[in-house]
Amino acid sequence: MPELDRRDFLKLLGASTGAVAAAGCTVDPIEKLIPYVIQPEEVVPGKSTTYASTCMECSVGCGLHVTSREGRPIKLEGHPDHPINQGALCARGQVGLGRTYHPDRYEGPMVKGSNGSSAISWADAQSKVAGAIKASAKGTWILGGPVGPTLSQLMDQWVSATGAGGRVVYEPFANESLRSATQMVFGRSVLPEFDLSSADLVLDFSSDFLDQGLSPVEHARQLSQAKDISKHGGARLISVGPRLSMTASKADKWIPSIPGGEGALALALAMAIFPKKSSAISGDLRSVKDLFKGQNTGQLLKQAGVDQHTFDELVSRLLAAKHAIALPPGVSVTSSSGTSDAAAVLLLNVLLGGQGTRLKIPAKDSAEHGAPYSEVQALIAAMKAGKVNVLLIHNANPVYSLPAASGFVEALGKVGMVVSFATLTDETSEAADLVLPNHDHFESWGDVSPRSGIRTLVQPTIRPLFDTQGLGDSLLAIGREAGAKLGDASFLERLKSAWSGGDWRMTLEKGGVYAPVDAGSTAVAVTVSQIKISAPALSGSGEYTLVAYPHSFIGDGSAATLPWMQEIPDPVARASWLSWLEISDNTCAKLGVDYGEMVNVTTDAGSIALPVYPRGGIQDDVIAIAIGQGHTVGHYASLAGDGQPGKARGASVISLLSDATDENGGRAWLSTKATVSGKMGYQRIPLTQFTDNQRGRKLAPTISLAALAMAGVHGDDHGVVAAAAAAGGHDGGHDAPAATAGHGEGHEIIIPFDTANDAHPDNEYRWAMSIDNDKCTGCGACVAACYTENSIPIVGEEGMARHREMSWIRIERYVDEGDREDGHERRPHPDREALGKTDVRYAPMLCQHCGAAPCEAVCPVIATYHTPEGLNGMVYNRCVGTRYCANNCTYKVRRFNYFDYSRENWPGNMNLMLNPDVTARQQGVMEKCTFCVQRIATARQTAKDEGRPIADGEVVVACQQSCPSQAIQFGNSKDEKSRVVAASSDEKRAYHSLHVLNTRPAITYLKQVDRADDERSHG
Amino acid sequence: MTPPATAAPAMSPNAVPQDSQANVDILSVITRGTSWPWFALLGLALLGVGQAMATLAYQTYVGLGVAGYQAPVFWAVYIVLFVFWIGIGHAGTLISAILFLFRARWRNAINRSAEAMTVFAVLTAALFPLIHIGRLWKFYFLIPYPNQRGLWVNFKSPLVWDVFAVNTYMTISIVFFFVGLIPDFAIARDRTTGVRKFVYTILALGWQGKSSQWKAHNRTVLHLSGLATPLVLSVHSVISWDFAMSIVPGWHTTIFAPYFVAGAVFGGFAMVLVVMIPVRRIYGLEEYITDYHLENMSRFILLTSLICGYAYAMEYSIAWYSGVEFEQTSFWLRAFGPYWFSTWCMIIFNAVLPQLLWFKKLRTNVPFLFVLCVFINIGMWFERYVIIITSLSREYIPAAWGLYIPSMAELSILAGSFCWFSMFFLLFLKGGPIIAIYEIKELIIHEKAHGGAH
Repeated sequence: MPELDRRDFLKLLGASTGAVAAAGCTVDPIEKLIPYVIQPEEVVPGKSTTYASTCMECSVGCGLHVTSREGRPIKLEGHPDHPINQGALCARGQVGLGRTYHPDRYEGPMVKGSNGSSAISWADAQSKVAGAIKASAKGTWILGGPVGPTLSQLMDQWVSATGAGGRVVYEPFANESLRSATQMVFGRSVLPEFDLSSADLVLDFSSDFLDQGLSPVEHARQLSQAKDISKHGGARLISVGPRLSMTASKADKWIPSIPGGEGALALALAMAIFPKKSSAISGDLRSVKDLFKGQNTGQLLKQAGVDQHTFDELVSRLLAAKHAIALPPGVSVTSSSGTSDAAAVLLLNVLLGGQGTRLKIPAKDSAEHGAPYSEVQALIAAMKAGKVNVLLIHNANPVYSLPAASGFVEALGKVGMVVSFATLTDETSEAADLVLPNHDHFESWGDVSPRSGIRTLVQPTIRPLFDTQGLGDSLLAIGREAGAKLGDASFLERLKSAWSGGDWRMTLEKGGVYAPVDAGSTAVAVTVSQIKISAPALSGSGEYTLVAYPHSFIGDGSAATLPWMQEIPDPVARASWLSWLEISDNTCAKLGVDYGEMVNVTTDAGSIALPVYPRGGIQDDVIAIAIGQGHTVGHYASLAGDGQPGKARGASVISLLSDATDENGGRAWLSTKATVSGKMGYQRIPLTQFTDNQRGRKLAPTISLAALAMAGVHGDDHGVVAAAAAAGGHDGGHDAPAATAGHGEGHEIIIPFDTANDAHPDNEYRWAMSIDNDKCTGCGACVAACYTENSIPIVGEEGMARHREMSWIRIERYVDEGDREDGHERRPHPDREALGKTDVRYAPMLCQHCGAAPCEAVCPVIATYHTPEGLNGMVYNRCVGTRYCANNCTYKVRRFNYFDYSRENWPGNMNLMLNPDVTARQQGVMEKCTFCVQRIATARQTAKDEGRPIADGEVVVACQQSCPSQAIQFGNSKDEKSRVVAASSDEKRAYHSLHVLNTRPAITYLKQVDRADDERSHG
Repeated sequence: MTPPATAAPAMSPNAVPQDSQANVDILSVITRGTSWPWFALLGLALLGVGQAMATLAYQTYVGLGVAGYQAPVFWAVYIVLFVFWIGIGHAGTLISAILFLFRARWRNAINRSAEAMTVFAVLTAALFPLIHIGRLWKFYFLIPYPNQRGLWVNFKSPLVWDVFAVNTYMTISIVFFFVGLIPDFAIARDRTTGVRKFVYTILALGWQGKSSQWKAHNRTVLHLSGLATPLVLSVHSVISWDFAMSIVPGWHTTIFAPYFVAGAVFGGFAMVLVVMIPVRRIYGLEEYITDYHLENMSRFILLTSLICGYAYAMEYSIAWYSGVEFEQTSFWLRAFGPYWFSTWCMIIFNAVLPQLLWFKKLRTNVPFLFVLCVFINIGMWFERYVIIITSLSREYIPAAWGLYIPSMAELSILAGSFCWFSMFFLLFLKGGPIIAIYEIKELIIHEKAHGGAH
C-alpha cells in the first residue's frame, strides 16, 4: 500500500464526499438567465403590460385585454370598456391564446408532393399560387370564415382585381335562419339584438343563450342583472326544448318540446296573446292577422309537443309579465322551417312589446358574416363540375365542419390547387396542396365589426414565432404576382387608412370605437305572413330524432384543438375529451344498454360509434350528440397527442347529418332521424362527477321566493311574490350561518362565526370570497380563467378518466336536494334528472381557505399553513407529498401532481403561456387554489409603494374577473364596507358549504333562489 | 387475558427431549446442508424484491401516477401494506414481552421466530411511508433535526407521531431480538466452524454462560419487556390515529386505537402460525413447537377475533346511532357499495371463520389452522383496504366521489413486500436459531424437575 499522508487523505476524503453528494442530489443544472442588454422601453421585467385587442374565437367579437410579460402574451381577459362583454370573457375566449403557442402550428409554407408534405419558400409558394391563378382567374375562389371589415374589403377587391370567380364566407354557425327571419318580420336582413337586463320573464326557445347562443357573455351578464331579487324577485327563465341543456338547467321551468316544434309554440303563444297585445304591433297588422288566419292552436301545440295546460299557464304568465322577452331557436333546433320558427319568435317579441328596449333591430347589417349555406352548396356544385381550379381556404375547416352529405371532400379532389392559409394543422389544411400559414391571431393586425356601432382593432402582442405571413399580405403578394392591380400598400397600411379618422395610438389603447346600436324601425313588414310553420323535415327512417347541439366549449369544432376546452368538463354532462350519446333513461332500458356501452348511431348519411350517456333530462324519442369532436388531425383535437395519429377523438355528429337547409338556404342542423343499435364493448367516459345526488347535504341549497319575501327582502309587494308567499313555499336550504337551527327535518348545530377572526388579529386583511349560486350559470369561464392564470396543467383523457384533473376550481352540478336514503350505488351518471324538472343547482367549488382548515393540522412538514392574512397557504417546495391534506380536505379541492406535469405536459411552445408569477409545481407535490395570491401580492406592493392599505376591489382574482354573471366577489372581510362583506351578509341566502363541520370557510355562498314555486302558484 | 398456560404442562408431556438434544435439533436447521428448495425459495424472493425495486425506481422517476391513485383516494395499497405489516409486527413483541411478563411459558417455543417476524415485518412496513410519498428524495423533511433550511415538522400531525412510533418500535424490537439471541449465538459459536464460527463469535459478544452474565441477561430482558409492553399498545394506537385524528367519515372514530391493536395482534398471531407450521414440519421441530403451542395460539386468535368482530359491529352501530348522514352513507356503502367484496371478505375471514376455533378438534387440526390463518391474513389485509379506500372514496362531497383500482405498479410492490419479508425470514432460518434454545432448555429442565413429581 502506498504511503498516504495527511494532505492526500484529506483530498481523498473531500473528493469522495463530493462524489457522494453529487450522486445523491437531483438538482437540475443551473440555467443562467440573460437579462436584456438593451431593454425595450415598455418592458419592465416582472411587470405585465396590457394590450387591447379583440377575440375571434367566435363571431360575437368580445373585447380583449391581452396581458403580456417580457414580450409574450400570457393571459386573456375581457376588455372592461367593451359594450358586449364588459370585462368578462367566456371559457373559450380565455384560452384562445393557446393557438399561438400550439404544437400544431405550421412553421412555414408547406407543399404537398408525391411523398408527403415538404417545406417551400414563401416566394416559390406565392408564385405557384399566382401562376395557377393566372392560368385560370375565373376558376379561382376564396372560401373562409369572417375576417373583419378591412380584410374583407381587401378580399373583395382582390377578387375583382384578379378577376377571380368569387368569394364565399363560410361559418358553421352563421345564424342564417335568424337573419332571414328578421328579413321576414322586419324587412331587413340583420341580426337582431336582445337585451335581457330589464326583462322580468325570459322565454327561451332552445336558444342556448347562456351557452353557445347569440352572445353568451353578454346575455349571461344581462340575465344576472335581470335576476336581481329586489326587482319583484328577479326575472323568471322559462326554457322550451328537447333536452335539459345548460341554459335549461338554469331555467325556473323547463317545458320539454319536440325538437323543431319551438316555432309552433311561439306562433301559438303569439296568437293567444294577440287579442290583448295587438296594440304593441306597429306596421302591417293585416299581414299578422292574415298569418294567424288558418292556424290551429291545437295543431301547433301538437307539433310542439306541449300540452294545453302548460300552454295556458304559459299564456297567463306572458300576459302577466310586463317586460317579457323571447329568444329565438339556436343551432340545435334549426330545422327545414328554421326561418319561420325564428320569425314566429320575433313576432312574439313584438307582441310582448320589447321593441327598441329588449329587442333592437339594427338599421343596417354589421360588416361581415357567414353567407347562407346555399352559397357554399353552390360552390361545392361548381367544384364538382370542375369549374373551380384554385380554391383558397382561410379561417375555416370545411372538410370537418361540412356534412359528408354535402360532398365537399369529393369535390375538393376535383379542384386543381387547394391552398390553405391555416395557422394550425387541421383536416382542411392536410387536404390542401399548398399551405401558406397565416400569422396567429395574436401575431397579426386586423379589425372586427361584430355588430353595428362597434368596431374594434386586433393588434399583435408577440413577434411571429414562425415563418408565417399575415393573410392580407399573402393575398396581396399573390394578387400582385398574378398581375392584379392592388396598389403598394401593405395590409397594415390599409388598416391604418381604414381607421384614419381618429388618433391611431389612442384607438389602439382603447381597443376601438364603441357606439350604441343604430336601432332601426321595428315595424312589422308585410312579409310576415310568409311565416309557415311546419313540422321539421327529417330525413331517414330511424325512430329517434337526432339533435346535434353545439359543444359548450368546443362550439362548432374549431376549439377542439384547445386542450382546456377538451379538459374542462361539460357543464351538463360533466364529461370531457370525447363524444357521448345523450339518451333518455327509458330509451336505454328499452334498448338494453347502459352507461358507457358503445352503440352505433346510424342515419342515412352514415354511422358512428359512441358510448351511451343515459340521463333523465331528455325526451325519450330524441338522442343528442355534441357537435365538435371527431377530428382526425391535431395534437389535442385528434388522438395524435396520445400517440395515435390519424385516429379521431370521439366521433363527429356532422358526419351523420344531411345537407338540408331551411326555407332560405340557411343550414339546418336538425335534419335527420337516427337509429341506435349494437352493443360493442365499453368505453369509460371521463366523468369528473359521478353523481348529481347531494343526499340532502345542502351543498347547494335553494331558498324559495316566499321565504325571501317573508324576510322583507323585497321593496314592494308585487302580486307574484305575494301570491307565492301566500301559497307558502318551503325553505329548501339550511339557514344563514348567523342564524340558529333551521326548521324542517335537519337540526343542525350551527356555531356563528366571523370569518374576519380567522386571520392574525394584528393583520389588516382576511381575504374572503362570496359566490352567488343564483347567478352562476355553470359556464366554466372561471375554470378556464383559473387554468390560464395559475398555469394549471392539462392531464388529458387518461388523466381525466382517472379523476386526476388538476383544476383548482370546479363547478358542481346537483339536481334537487337529493335523497339521503339512496343507498344504492347507481351507475355513474347523473340520475336525478327527469323530464320537465329543472331543479339544477350549480355550486362552484374551490379551496375554502378555512379558518380551521383540516388540511393544515395534518401536514407533517408544514407545507400547508395559515397565513397571517387568513389564507390557506401552500409551500410547494416544502411538500413531500404525503397527501394527508387531500384526504382530510372536506371539500376535496386539493390536487396532486401525479407526474411531472409542469415540465412534460406543455408540448410545442405551450410553456411560454405559463404565468411567471406562479410557481411551477414539481412532480409529487400538492397544489390548490391560492386565492390568486400573486395578484394579492401585486396589489400589496402597489399599495405599499403608495403608502396606503389595499383598497376594496383592488385585488380581482382570476375567476371573479372572468365571471360573465359577476357571481363572485372577493375582498377583505375585515373591511366592513367591502363588497364581499356586503354580499356575504345576506342573512337569508348566505350559507357555508358543510357548515356543520365547523371548518370556518372564507367563502360564503348565496343560495340559489327557487322561483319555481312561484311558477307553480301561477298555474 | 392469558390462556391457562400455568395449569397445563408447557412442553408436550409425552416426549420431553433431552436438553443437549435441543442444541443439536434446533441448530441442525443451521448446521445441516442447505437444500435446493431453500435456494429456490430465496431466489424467488430475491426476484420478487428485485422487480419491486425496479418498479419503485420507475415510480420515483416518473411519478406516483403509475400507482392507481384516483382522486379522492389519495392513500391506497401502500398505506394498506404499511398498516398490514406493522400489524404483523405486533405478535412478536406481544409474545416476547407481554407473555414473558405474564410468565406464559408456552411462548418459549415460538417467541424467537415471532420476534424475528416482528423485526422483519417492521423493516418491511417502514419502507412504505417512503414508497408512498410523492417526493421520496425529500423524506428527511419528516425528521425533526436542526438544519440550515430552517424547516421543522408539525407536531400536530399524526404522521409525525407515526415517524416516532415506528422508529421507536423498530429500535426496541431489534434490540430485544438481538439480546435474546446472544446466548444462542454462543451455542452456535461453539458448534460451528470456519467463517460461521467467526461471525457467531462476534455476534455472541463474548458470552460465556457465567452466572453473572445470565443474571445481567435476565435483567435486561425483563427491563426490555417492560419497555416493549407499552409499545405493543402504543404503536398501533398511533398508527390508528393517522386515521382517527382525521375528519374523514369512517376514520374519525374513537374506537380505532383498541380496534387496531386487537386487529394487529390477531393478524400477527395468524402470521406466526402461517410461518411456523411449515417450518416445524420441514425441519422436524414438532417436539419443540408442539400442537399444544399451536392450540394456545389459536385460543389467542379466537379471543382477538372476537374483539375485532365487536369493533366491526360497534363501528356500524355508532354510525347508525350518531344520526350523521355522512357516517351512515360511508358505512352503508362499505357493505353495499362498490367495495362490498372487500368488506365481506373482511367480515367473514376475520369475524366469522375464526369462530370455528371454539371446537377443540379444529383447534388441534394443524392443516386447518394453517388454512384458517392464511384466510385471516387475507381478511386483515382487506380490513385495512376497506378502512382506507372505501372511506376515502365516499366522503362529504358527492360530486367529488371516485373509485380506486390498484395498478400494476402497486401489485408489483405488494408482491415485492412479501418477497422482502420472506427473504429475511429465509436468511434467518439459516443464520440464527429459530427457537430460543436456552429458553427451551430451561423448560426441559423445568419439566424434568416437576414432571417426575406428577
